[in-house]
Amino acid sequence: MSENVAVARVAVARVGPADQARFAALEPRRKLQLALALVWLLDGILQFQPWTFSKAFPQLLADSAQRNPAVLAAPITWSAGLIGHHQIVLNALFATIQVALGLGIACRASVKYALGASVAWSLGVWWFGEGFGGVLAGTASPVNGAPGAVILYALLAVLLWPADTDPGAPFVAGRAVGRRPAQALWLVLWGSLAFFSLTPASRAPQAISGTISDMAAGEPPWLAWIDSHAASALAHQGLAASIVLAAAFAIIAAGIYASARSVIIVALVMTVALWLAQGLGGIFTGMGTDVQSAPLLALLALAYWPSASASTSTTEAVAGEA
Amino acid sequence: MGGPVWLSAIFAAMMLVVAVYCAGRLVVARRWRRPTELDTDGAHVVMGVAMAGMLVSGLRTPLPAGLWEGVFGVGAVWFGGQALRARRGPVTSPWRCLHAAPHLVECVAMVYMFLLFPAAVVIRSAAGQMGAMAVSSAGSRFSFLALLMAVFLLGYVIWLGDRLMPRSPALAPAAQPPAASVLATMPSGAAAAATGSAAAATTPAAAATPAACHAAALAPRYLAPRCALLCKAAMGMTMGYMLILML
Repeated sequence: MSENVAVARVAVARVGPADQARFAALEPRRKLQLALALVWLLDGILQFQPWTFSKAFPQLLADSAQRNPAVLAAPITWSAGLIGHHQIVLNALFATIQVALGLGIACRASVKYALGASVAWSLGVWWFGEGFGGVLAGTASPVNGAPGAVILYALLAVLLWPADTDPGAPFVAGRAVGRRPAQALWLVLWGSLAFFSLTPASRAPQAISGTISDMAAGEPPWLAWIDSHAASALAHQGLAASIVLAAAFAIIAAGIYASARSVIIVALVMTVALWLAQGLGGIFTGMGTDVQSAPLLALLALAYWPSASASTSTTEAVAGEA
Repeated sequence: MGGPVWLSAIFAAMMLVVAVYCAGRLVVARRWRRPTELDTDGAHVVMGVAMAGMLVSGLRTPLPAGLWEGVFGVGAVWFGGQALRARRGPVTSPWRCLHAAPHLVECVAMVYMFLLFPAAVVIRSAAGQMGAMAVSSAGSRFSFLALLMAVFLLGYVIWLGDRLMPRSPALAPAAQPPAASVLATMPSGAAAAATGSAAAATTPAAAATPAACHAAALAPRYLAPRCALLCKAAMGMTMGYMLILML
């Protein structure tokens, strides 16, 4: 019996390192799904903050209707009013849904349902919660999160969908939708960021500077220092800054067809700079309800990282065909 | 602003349930000689009570904050030691936690929260009820640390969620069908039950010999692994929530 117990102990003891090895052996797409799940869970917990239960929250939602076409703005105003009337219940529901999406994506049995639900939820929030990210209102700028952080969740859910339309795709994002459509989506997304960098909301002399300085309010000293210095450096330099931003985004957009690895490194560096400019989504102010667009852009960029496993599977496929 | 009041009460109730359940695990494990992570369950009993007290003032224990800090400081040292031991070699006892790092972070987070708790601002609703806690300038210098711990703990919850469905075919390592099939014939195998994960199928012990598998099958089963996992997830999520409130 002591031998049995000893063997069992060895078996138990080996589980720890084996679990770590299993995580390391998780396919890249699953790792990205788990990262997306973490962001959803964090968003849900942020949505439970006391501020979101105050009257300021539905007011913020109602403000997103401004300058949108009337036919689209009216439902936003209506939903903001509804949330204002049933705020405790609805806000708790919203937060719970986001937590459930995160946990649902984390559990393998429910990953498809959760990703599908996250697409529907994201589209709804993009309309009723973010006013289409200011895309139709002319206020969209990459610095303030255009084209809307929440639409990136939907895009990620589609790209990380657990299907293998193109198993030999050289990056994770291409496996579910195919490499050409995935590259086209990348081009459209980063190209749109380049476009939004050149709109009046970005190129006005104080546009980018003002947006960044607004983020500094309520932040911890170190982050406020970064944002206030960045804002003062860009003061009255809106046009130059927007041109530089647009050029960088355009290079990233087109670069996916050339050298994916270096382009993705540039994209990751840009997302870090963007996130700092976005005040890390205002998480430290107690009023941030999500992590903003930059971390999602980074996650998206990682989904386009040329993967060794994809190369291997491609090689195997070629060998199999031969 | 009544929301956070009932929300804090819900989280506090959840923590008390976790504390009572983990205390029950300790008793049942001793009585039935079923392996459980004694250190983790013990820590969760204490943490559950302490966190419930922080969330709802009516549940606050008369113990001074300094004592709580000492308790969780000792816990941090213990789990830190376990983490170091795990780096040197595999944990040899089925009665100790296999993944000490998350519990180390939990203990550090508890010390952090107790250190800042006296400076915490109690937000009271218009009705004068206890609301959520928040820290203003006192904690802002260390808010990045709080965010890091919150993200780590929420990431731990996600990692636990990934392991929640051990019978999913996706979890079975396709590269080692013999080991997986051997494991499938071990309904009471301690290796599989210990984490509720098919990862054990990749272990040399599980795949070694039929005698070894038979011996492992005879060993006492790990006590309610899925419930243990859910307790850890509840603890991680609640602590993440509290840390977010303290940003």
